[in-house]
Amino acid sequence: MNSFSPLIALLLIPLGAILFIIAKAPARMTALVASGLNLAISLLLLLDYPAAQGSYAWEMNFPWVNLQGLPPIRLHFGVDGISLPLVFLTAIVTAAAIAISPGNIRRSSEYYCYLLLMSLGAMGAFISLDIFFFYIFHEFALIPTFLLIGIWGAQNRQFASFQVTIYLMAGSLILLAGLVALIMTLPPEARTFDMIALQSYLNDHPIAVATQNLIFPLLLVGFGILVGLFPFHSWAPPGYASAPPAAAMLHAGILKKFAIYGMIRIAIPMVHDGFEAWLPVLLALLVGNFLYAGLITLAQKELPTMIGFSSIMHMGYLFLGVACWNTIGVSGAVVLMVAHGLSAALLFGLSGEITQRAGENRFAEMGGLAERAPTLAVLFSFASMAAMGVPGLANFAGEVMVFFGSYAAILPVLGPGYAIIAIYGTVLTAIFQLRAIKSIFYGLMPARYEPRAAVAATAGSEGTPAAPGMTDTSALAEHAPYVLLILASLVIGFMPFLLLHIVEPSVSLLPHLK
Amino acid sequence: MIPASDIAYFAPELILTIWAMGLLLAEAFFSLEPRTITSGALAGILACFLVTALFDATPTLFWSDMCKWDGAAKFFHLFFLAVAALVIWMGDEVQEPVSHGRGEFVVLPLFTTVGLMLLAATNDFMLLFISLELATISFYILVAYQRRNLTALEAGVKYLILGGLSSAFLVMGIAYLFGITGSTRFDAIFNWLHGHHALQTGVSFGMLLVLTGVGFKIATVPFHSWAPDVYEGAPNSITAFLSVGSKAGGLIILMRLVLGIFDTESAAAVWIPVLSVGAIASLLLGNLSAIPQRNLKRMLGYSSIGHTGFILVAVIGASVSLAASPYPTDAATGQIAVTVYLVSYLLATFTAFIVLAVLERRLPGLEIHHLAGLSQRSPLLAAAFALSLVSLAGIPPLSGFIAKALVVLVAWNRGLYTLLFFTIFAAVAALYYYLGPIKAMYWSEPLDETPIRLNRATSGVLTALIVLLIVTGFWAQSISALVNGSNLSPNATPAAPVALIQH
Repeated sequence: MNSFSPLIALLLIPLGAILFIIAKAPARMTALVASGLNLAISLLLLLDYPAAQGSYAWEMNFPWVNLQGLPPIRLHFGVDGISLPLVFLTAIVTAAAIAISPGNIRRSSEYYCYLLLMSLGAMGAFISLDIFFFYIFHEFALIPTFLLIGIWGAQNRQFASFQVTIYLMAGSLILLAGLVALIMTLPPEARTFDMIALQSYLNDHPIAVATQNLIFPLLLVGFGILVGLFPFHSWAPPGYASAPPAAAMLHAGILKKFAIYGMIRIAIPMVHDGFEAWLPVLLALLVGNFLYAGLITLAQKELPTMIGFSSIMHMGYLFLGVACWNTIGVSGAVVLMVAHGLSAALLFGLSGEITQRAGENRFAEMGGLAERAPTLAVLFSFASMAAMGVPGLANFAGEVMVFFGSYAAILPVLGPGYAIIAIYGTVLTAIFQLRAIKSIFYGLMPARYEPRAAVAATAGSEGTPAAPGMTDTSALAEHAPYVLLILASLVIGFMPFLLLHIVEPSVSLLPHLK
Repeated sequence: MIPASDIAYFAPELILTIWAMGLLLAEAFFSLEPRTITSGALAGILACFLVTALFDATPTLFWSDMCKWDGAAKFFHLFFLAVAALVIWMGDEVQEPVSHGRGEFVVLPLFTTVGLMLLAATNDFMLLFISLELATISFYILVAYQRRNLTALEAGVKYLILGGLSSAFLVMGIAYLFGITGSTRFDAIFNWLHGHHALQTGVSFGMLLVLTGVGFKIATVPFHSWAPDVYEGAPNSITAFLSVGSKAGGLIILMRLVLGIFDTESAAAVWIPVLSVGAIASLLLGNLSAIPQRNLKRMLGYSSIGHTGFILVAVIGASVSLAASPYPTDAATGQIAVTVYLVSYLLATFTAFIVLAVLERRLPGLEIHHLAGLSQRSPLLAAAFALSLVSLAGIPPLSGFIAKALVVLVAWNRGLYTLLFFTIFAAVAALYYYLGPIKAMYWSEPLDETPIRLNRATSGVLTALIVLLIVTGFWAQSISALVNGSNLSPNATPAAPVALIQH
């Protein structure tokens, strides 16, 4: 146990890459190599994980801080079937986000450093088994997010970056209060930041129900803000709309999953009576995610804000899966976290691509662009289908499990009604995604794209750019990252058991499962 | 005959006083270069530091029981020496040298430090007053050192008047306490209080007057009004000295008083609400008033008021008279939180003021918009300033996070839920103004593209401070040797009520 584990490499590689970039190595290349290495390592771990037991693997555990009055902090890393898929998700989305970033972006070495820092923070949070590190790795990623939106963002980036950062920091502080409360209600000798030790202590000595009822809302609001639970979601759509695509991919795809992961790992198992008491409230809020955020998404007239709202709406499925707290529901939520990470990254990346190439983000001003950019149209359609939960793509596998789980769980107030609302959410998604495809890629092309097309047609040669206003992804390097994400989604969609046989044993070890 | 232990424990103060006088004389007679005096002063501080570090922290009374040596005294001695070294180095190497009397500008902080160190070890109200005045009077001179500068003069006058007022409160309070308890010794007053369960009005009145005097020193609301003006007007190194050294001096006194003497149930019923109101007001006023500030030094002035609020929460949490917690170890955590907070505050504040001192010579002014594009002109300065602000904001993994987390932990654990709420509210509000300068440095385009070059010493010290900010945050174990055992030693509770002193 007290030996180094391969997990530490996942942190050291991006860190090394950052140091190389500071030492004036070519930024994009270094970042790509580092993220590629991380992707390879995480794939190897995924294949090598002893799935049958569902226990923690590759643990490393060193004493870190023993300060008088502070519960001991340990450098404790390890992954199980719940966190390992998220590690893989982090690696693949990071690689894609770096690959889609332009090489000639201004101040490129800073840009790639911040992307790597964000990814490092997410990775660290997922492999930490110590609440202290779990928390600070996540926070670690917020300042790079602030800078990424502020420096390279679009539209009103200043307001958006301040709003996102302060909102998320406020959420984190509330979360911190909840975590401190959780640890400090224990008698001094039992206080620890170690998740495993804390869980096993709490299994034998649960906290008084009245205290749990106070602690759980702190955790729920803290995690809820970070993930965009209704009504704490208002930071997300403008933030994502202003963020550079790679930052939105990393945040919506990976970093946000931190909060759902925290619900699964800490909030619900450790404060379970509090969870039971607050379940109706949680359910009411997630219905808000489906209906309120879903209907708002329908009303959006611009591509980036629509994708931003849709990513908020989809958090409803994750919360529903977690709220079931049975094996199938939670496993579904874990699969869906990966699936949504892939589809959100795809959508944010492609929406950035479309916006930049078309020079436009309003649906009303676009149309018929499939003719100009057939590859983009195909990629975007795949991404939309993934988000809609079309069978064969990963989201379907997760969503179906969540539906079954919520039927089986007999949730309070609406019972099976939540599954129906969730399915209605899928219908809403289909409506706005298909409408987006229609109004961007089909129908009449606005006049301003036409003349150039005519020029291209008369020139007739392959070499001339089709229309300067709207070009397709052409080189392999340009669509490779999207194809990679789509492939991952297809593999999980057609063969969900590949992921499930890792996820399920670990989920079934969670305490208090129904 | 003076016992040997008296000389031994008094050695840091003795060495530094003699050294400082020697330097002053040497400067007068041999007209030394300012640089030589600076090196001499730093060497003296180093010697003191080593001597102090060698002492163990076993609680002892010495110097006719007027002084007390314990973990807290040792920690604060080391703390003030570190502060003094940074101040003196900054004063002559980093910022624009003062136009006249450069030698004295280097030596005066040594006397201040002696005063502050005595303050940390005092066990008697007389000694408290004298050491406080020693520190404060040298501050009067240092604040208004650039006397041709109008803002400096304004700062000096404000500091002088309010400092004098606070001393008056302090003396009045001491007189009340002496008049009723019959002693100026801390342990005697402690025994008197523990012997008389009913708290006399005169004692609580005296206590409140003393606290008012201390409140000026630590710049807590409503005694804060001098801070922003003085911070703006004083030379950068002295602003940092006031912000860290003077605040820490006030805090050790506050802790010796409220935690050492007045921590009985009946007295705590008076001072805990008073300090709580002060803490909440400081948290709110400090952090909210910092938001509209454009001048960086004023902004840091208001933010330092806010930080006083955070530290006060920890001080209140260290009281053993709080009923809420069933665990006896928790009170000690409050004191640890204060020391950790001070260490992190020292690192971040000095980083910020060293950057400002460099910038003051290079930029047209110290408003936020003057920072525009600093990251492209000098990545090190921008990174240092950004990290110091991020640490002050309490964002992990920097050292300020551990400090704030400990305060939150203490507040929760001691049942101070109202304070906890305001702590979190203030921490969020603080984010807003700490992010502003970072925005200017990293997003805005520079008006003037010329790179800012730093000399080797400055970049070395800044790099070291950055490393310390990160290391103490990510690996808090690194300061455990410094803060573990830095507690006040409790005064011995009398076995039987002592006889009432007749007078």
